[in-house]
Amino acid sequence: MGIFSASVEVELSAEGLPLRLAWQGGSYELGADPVRWYERRSWWEKELRAPLGHGPGLVDHEIWRVQARLDGKGELYTFDLSRHVGSGRWRMIRIHDALRTSEEPEEREELAEPEEPCEEDWGA
Amino acid sequence: MPSFTHLHAATAFSAHYGVSWPNELAQAAAADGATALACTDRDGLYGTIKHLKACSEAGIDPIVGVDLAVLEPAPDTRGSQRTRSPGLGAAPRLQEGGRVVVLAHGSPAGYKALCRLVSAAHSHNPAGVTIEQLATYAVEPSTLEPVLTILIGPDSDVGRAMEGRQYLLPRRRLARWHQLMPTGTLMAEIVSHRSTPGTALSTQHAVRMLRLANELYIPAILTNAVRYVSEDGAATADVLDSARELSTLTALAGPAPKLQPTAQGWLKSAAQMEQLGREIMRDAGCGTADLAQLLANTEKLADRCRMDPVKDMGWKSPTVPEASVLGIAGSPDAELRQRCDAGITARYPNPTGAKARDVHQRLEMELATITDLGFSAYFLTVAEVSTMIHDMGVRGAARGSGASSLVNYLLGISQVDPLRHDLIFERFLSRDRSTLPDIDIDVESAQRHAVYHRIFERFGEERVTLMSMQNGYRARGAVRDAGLALGMDEEEIDTIAKQLWRFSARSFREALAEKPELREFAQRVEASHWGDGTGTPQQLDLLVDITERLDRLPRHISMHPCGVILGNATLLDRTPVQPSGLGLPMSQFDKHDMDPMGMLKLDVLGVRMQSAMAYALREVIRIHPTKEEVVAAGRHPLDATGTGPDYIAPDGTINLDAVPLDDEPTYQLIRSTHTLGCFQIESPGQRELIGKMAPREFNDLIIDISLFRPGPMKSNMVKPYLENRAGFAPEVYPHPLLKPALAETHGVTVFHEQVLRTFHVMTDCGLARADEFRRALGNEAQEPAVEAYFRRHALANGFPPGVVDTVWDTLKAFGSFGFCKAHGAAFAVPTYQSAWLKTHHPEAFLAGLWEHDPGMYPRRLLVAEARRLGIPILGLDINASAGEYRVERTDDGVLGIRMSLAGVYGLSGAELKRIVANQPYDSLADLRTRARVSRPIMKRLAQLGAFDALHRSVKAASGSTASRADLVAHLVGQPARSPSARHQPLEGQLALPLGDLELSALRPLLPEPSLHEKVRTELDLLALDVSGHLMGSYQPLLDSLGVTTADRLLGLRNNSEVLVAGVRVATQTPPMRGGRRVVFISIDDGTGCVDATFFHEAQEQSGPLLFGTRMLLIRGLTRRTGPRGISLQALQAWDLARTETLPLPAPRETVPGAVPDWVQF
Repeated sequence: MGIFSASVEVELSAEGLPLRLAWQGGSYELGADPVRWYERRSWWEKELRAPLGHGPGLVDHEIWRVQARLDGKGELYTFDLSRHVGSGRWRMIRIHDALRTSEEPEEREELAEPEEPCEEDWGA
Repeated sequence: MPSFTHLHAATAFSAHYGVSWPNELAQAAAADGATALACTDRDGLYGTIKHLKACSEAGIDPIVGVDLAVLEPAPDTRGSQRTRSPGLGAAPRLQEGGRVVVLAHGSPAGYKALCRLVSAAHSHNPAGVTIEQLATYAVEPSTLEPVLTILIGPDSDVGRAMEGRQYLLPRRRLARWHQLMPTGTLMAEIVSHRSTPGTALSTQHAVRMLRLANELYIPAILTNAVRYVSEDGAATADVLDSARELSTLTALAGPAPKLQPTAQGWLKSAAQMEQLGREIMRDAGCGTADLAQLLANTEKLADRCRMDPVKDMGWKSPTVPEASVLGIAGSPDAELRQRCDAGITARYPNPTGAKARDVHQRLEMELATITDLGFSAYFLTVAEVSTMIHDMGVRGAARGSGASSLVNYLLGISQVDPLRHDLIFERFLSRDRSTLPDIDIDVESAQRHAVYHRIFERFGEERVTLMSMQNGYRARGAVRDAGLALGMDEEEIDTIAKQLWRFSARSFREALAEKPELREFAQRVEASHWGDGTGTPQQLDLLVDITERLDRLPRHISMHPCGVILGNATLLDRTPVQPSGLGLPMSQFDKHDMDPMGMLKLDVLGVRMQSAMAYALREVIRIHPTKEEVVAAGRHPLDATGTGPDYIAPDGTINLDAVPLDDEPTYQLIRSTHTLGCFQIESPGQRELIGKMAPREFNDLIIDISLFRPGPMKSNMVKPYLENRAGFAPEVYPHPLLKPALAETHGVTVFHEQVLRTFHVMTDCGLARADEFRRALGNEAQEPAVEAYFRRHALANGFPPGVVDTVWDTLKAFGSFGFCKAHGAAFAVPTYQSAWLKTHHPEAFLAGLWEHDPGMYPRRLLVAEARRLGIPILGLDINASAGEYRVERTDDGVLGIRMSLAGVYGLSGAELKRIVANQPYDSLADLRTRARVSRPIMKRLAQLGAFDALHRSVKAASGSTASRADLVAHLVGQPARSPSARHQPLEGQLALPLGDLELSALRPLLPEPSLHEKVRTELDLLALDVSGHLMGSYQPLLDSLGVTTADRLLGLRNNSEVLVAGVRVATQTPPMRGGRRVVFISIDDGTGCVDATFFHEAQEQSGPLLFGTRMLLIRGLTRRTGPRGISLQALQAWDLARTETLPLPAPRETVPGAVPDWVQF
């Protein structure tokens, strides 16, 4: 399992469920129902401010586990995506099966908390 | 869209758990179209009554319940069969196995069962109930109809067993509930906070609970286990978890997380709840019919639990003890009249025609109102308590607006004659106010608990409970807990916390920008934005945000300092109770809940001054056991027969309440402003006011006390009053008809009573209505109507438009601020009495002050006051000192005050008792043997000179020249063990009169400790500087600075620039005109007190010194405040202990780096 943090574009259905991902130049189509949950964040370590009225997205973020095929064909890959509750932005945070394509992403194992570098602009 | 009813919601009154206030929740629920909302606080009904009010304002039905711990026997950790002795019947230790929500059905029986259940929960430690108790309370005993519904949810033992894919355990547990609970009282609570699949509060767990419930045919409902009204509250909930668990957020988020898993616990909308339900049903493989069933069950339960506050809970229906308990056979109305008639004879022995008519008219009017409102039993109850206190021999006095009532005066509840002081009954009670009036009784603080116990005995435990109070976060506590959550350094947090002074946590960021003492901290927060701090720099900024989040949230409940709730036999059906620190039961309701619940609250307030005065009176009679001696010692006036006043009994007992209120020497003392220790008039601001006002009579004291309030001070009523009083400015009355109402305060409106009379005189509205008008002043919504009414009727009554304008401006400005004269009058009585005691029996009075420490100043300042009065302070002496501060006649025949052994640091109560019981001692060995005094205490007593007298007599006999230091050194070198039993004298055996060999054998090696060393020791061990003043050792430094002493200030011209120095004795930040903060700091330099006022500039100049520093040097300008008053307008302050910062004159010769020889501390 690789750990990543990279921006990803997600196309949603009318009910707000993910249909398709645009990632690393490829388009992935969902091949099964996605699973959604929330995970808490160590906001007191990551945020500079937490004033009253800060709004949603401080304490937890949304996680979607999707299974998708590149261009709707072939092998099913399992991805964990996070969606920031406040901004609605999506990021790829985990890939469960080794994805060996020509455009293999640079692994960033050194980031124990992969979301961190990207969150400051979320909070803004 | 159908509405959704939240049946599980904690309010902020779930201390360290809930985030949102009842009105926020109710408003949000109503805005989403809900028709009802539950309040289920943790472990109690703490927010219930606020919830009723919030729901009524939001137009929805309240549902009441509780989130309770369920207890089960703890596994036997002792492991030994031997310790389990069934014969002893020891109850097994109980521990929390889970939590359930209990909802009361909408009926009187439902609410009663809930109250009783919650009280039962608090008879356990930890608080909680067993399943068996739940089963018992869940049905009405007579009909066996269900009256409570118990919700088994994710935090129950069933839900907790779902961790780790166990199947059988949760099933077995739910089956047990099903088996034990009466039919129709159990439901499953389905909750998902959408946490990581398979963890607590995940949708998967909700699905398992749903399936389990279906399997056992237990109906299921949907809730969101709400902790906050909106998503924003989640971070606050995290911090509250940290405060509750006393652990950092990082630690709580650790391997076994104790924080909420997600931020989903907000009051979700009906649409969101339906969506959540749909997700759960989808995962459960169920369809829309099942979802509809779940939501329908929820609404059905909600309907069953809708409370009618009036019918089901006794909302606003006043309840008082039954007549039979009061010992009344007939009607309370008749009884009250009879007792009042008896009171007239006692209070007005020989009324003349007009006076008699006034009294009777007033009485008829009051009785008519009281009987119309049905409050006769209430007054009889209060009178009963008042009589009971009097019969206990405890000093007591009514305070507050109760003094406005003639009935209270006649019943002996109040000691103030309302007719004489023009007090208005309608300010206290009228037909327009149906709430029970407040009557507060001040008693000796030292006797308060005894009085409480007596009330419980007298009325029965089922009719009495103590009131509680909610303690909310203020700035200091909030910043400490915020710092804890962030894991900041404790010392650093402590430093920050100490700088926070009287502002609400919510305005922390604002305060950072404004307050000079926070400047340093503000700069660090600012610097932290740039990341040049160390550690985790952003913490400071977060600290500010979190502190603001905690502001005002309740932290815990505690016993209210004075409230006692009295009711009839059904009291405990209407309020849950829990143990208080005092061992007596305490209601979970606070003062705001009393009126709504029709509860009779009596404030029995412990007043230390009453204890101090009672003590002083006992000391007077102990030292002067006859009337003649008391009269001579106190220089009391002699009558024609030469026997002294009637208020002194033949045995010397002084009836303080009978002392006439016109004693001229007492007013002389008050005018001298040497009022340290006197009730209400000892603060720096009051002494300044008294200096200016120079009170001549009792009414002046009432006015003085009423003027010294935030309102009058803020709205600048003081200056015009003083100018008019002094005759500097002519008295101005807006209209001649208003002169009778305003004359006593020279045309300035000070009292509520004057506002009432003004309304009445100009509009004929009647005094009761006038009081309603007064209450509306300052209320944005109601004031315009009052203004319209006032203008219309005043003009119609022929008052010129200009007069109407002027008077309205006055009413508008002062009406909401002014003070109730009845309060002032009630306060002025102990003020006068304390000043009277200080005038006539200063030694006994000071001894009483030391004993009960009633004032705002530290005890050590009273030492200075005793010195000023020329009263000798007698040091600690093992044979002469008692467990109290006692008046003692010295060898010169003067009365002095002997220090108490009780003040010695570290001396236990038991040791103290043994020492006092076995006095006197003829040797140290004698003391060790008979009083079994520990070695450290022996040493302390020696250090404090308690053996000096003993030592002196030995020295005189033996010719030894050893010093106190030798004695201390000897005691330090003693073996720790006491002499073995073999060497202790046998019962009846006389010790040989050898004298103290131990003392006479001391070898003189060390010099006697210097005065400065003695003072230092006294401060350390007694917190008093007895032998000399703390400032004494600074004298050389003060001389080189050119400091002026307090006693010489009065001789200076106004506006002289001086330096003063001393020990801080008081700091105050009274509210001031214009909203700018003014800081009053009083310092004591051994010759008296200097009161320095720091305005904005001086605060800027002094910065962090303002609140933390003990020894201060202050530069300032003298300000004459009256014929006998002078204070200082501070320009700058320094820390006297930091000599390098002081503005010393350039020394003539300096050795670089040398420490000046006056640096001693």
